[in-house]
Amino acid sequence: MINRKLAKVLSFRYKILALVFIVLAGGLVLLPKYEKHEGIKPEKLLGNAMSSERYISSDELAHKIINQDPSFLLIDVRDEESYSKYSLPNSVNIPLEKLLEEDSESYLNQDGFDVILFSNDNFYSDQAWLLCNRLEYKNLRVLEGGINTWFTTVIKPVEPTENQPASDFELYSFRKAASMYFGVAYPDQTKADPPPKKKAPKKIVPVKKKKKLPVEGGC
Amino acid sequence: MKELEKTKRISIAAVLFILVVIIALLAYEKPKHLYKINTEVALNKLLTKDYFVNFTDINNPEYVLIDIRNRYEYEKGHIENAINIHTPDLLNNTNSKVFKELIKDKKIAVLYGSDPAEANMPFMLLYQLGYSNIKILLVNNSYAQNKLITKSSIIGNSVADVTAYIKESQKNAAIKPKPKKKVPKKIVPVKKKKKMPVEGGC
Repeated sequence: MINRKLAKVLSFRYKILALVFIVLAGGLVLLPKYEKHEGIKPEKLLGNAMSSERYISSDELAHKIINQDPSFLLIDVRDEESYSKYSLPNSVNIPLEKLLEEDSESYLNQDGFDVILFSNDNFYSDQAWLLCNRLEYKNLRVLEGGINTWFTTVIKPVEPTENQPASDFELYSFRKAASMYFGVAYPDQTKADPPPKKKAPKKIVPVKKKKKLPVEGGC
Repeated sequence: MKELEKTKRISIAAVLFILVVIIALLAYEKPKHLYKINTEVALNKLLTKDYFVNFTDINNPEYVLIDIRNRYEYEKGHIENAINIHTPDLLNNTNSKVFKELIKDKKIAVLYGSDPAEANMPFMLLYQLGYSNIKILLVNNSYAQNKLITKSSIIGNSVADVTAYIKESQKNAAIKPKPKKKVPKKIVPVKKKKKMPVEGGC
């Protein structure tokens, strides 16, 4: 009797098993949607955001551009209007609203270049950086202070006063040279450089010849 | 009997399998923090730019000010009624509770730091974690003689027209480079002229 009952139940065994697995598979649907959780862990993201490692100073960037360093890519996250007005040389314009479009991804998500994001200050470029960092894009940097700091340091450097340390003067001369590279012309610079060259030969050469002349003429 | 033995093995395997699944479910620890919105939604929020609070509007009873600078600076001076939550502690259990309670009370957390950019990162993170009641206070905080001075600030604007500045500098300098060309011309003729008379004198 027992055997017969057992055999009856067991005749459904595969159906029962299949039912159990279907129920389990149904459970997968109830799992939270993972596309929302895309990206690195929030704790790690906070750690990255706290670190100032992402910043590159305007002097460093100027140095790179002048040395024609081929390893970086400049991305302007401002709108097109500001971009057409003024932007850093050879930069690519990706307005913030187009940041996550497919075309932009080929620029932002690659290993070949260091990507340097910038906006007028570093507020919006930081936001772009955070979103991209969450998506695990690599080699992303942010220009510290953005175009505004770029302007006040590299394009229009402030001359240090006499009581400032020598390093400030060195920095100033670098920045001044950099600004000339980026098209700024200095009236005092063009003046100050040539005169020492011109004056010296003028005075020395004529004086020597004049003295020789009378001697030879006397013979 | 053979048939029975087979089914025994299958059912044992099935039971074991289900047990493993159940143990895995029990052992699964839910991560403390999960993003509630994806990057596209977050970006759309950023583009609306309605997450800024001006310094003049802070007396709104809905707003709860949160100072994200460190404890030392907070104690040195802070805006009245502000709570201190230093950025690295943002995801602590206690602080998460604070934010959750603010949502319950239908209050809006207004973050501020030494400048708006400092509050930017905590804001973005909290927003992506699903705290939709977060805003940024547009202020710069500095100290003068140990007193906190709060000034409202603007972000994202351009301080100067760089192109105009470069053009202007070139214009200013354009008049002066000319002397450069004149001077070298002078040197060359002077030498030649002086040599000629010498030979003639002999």
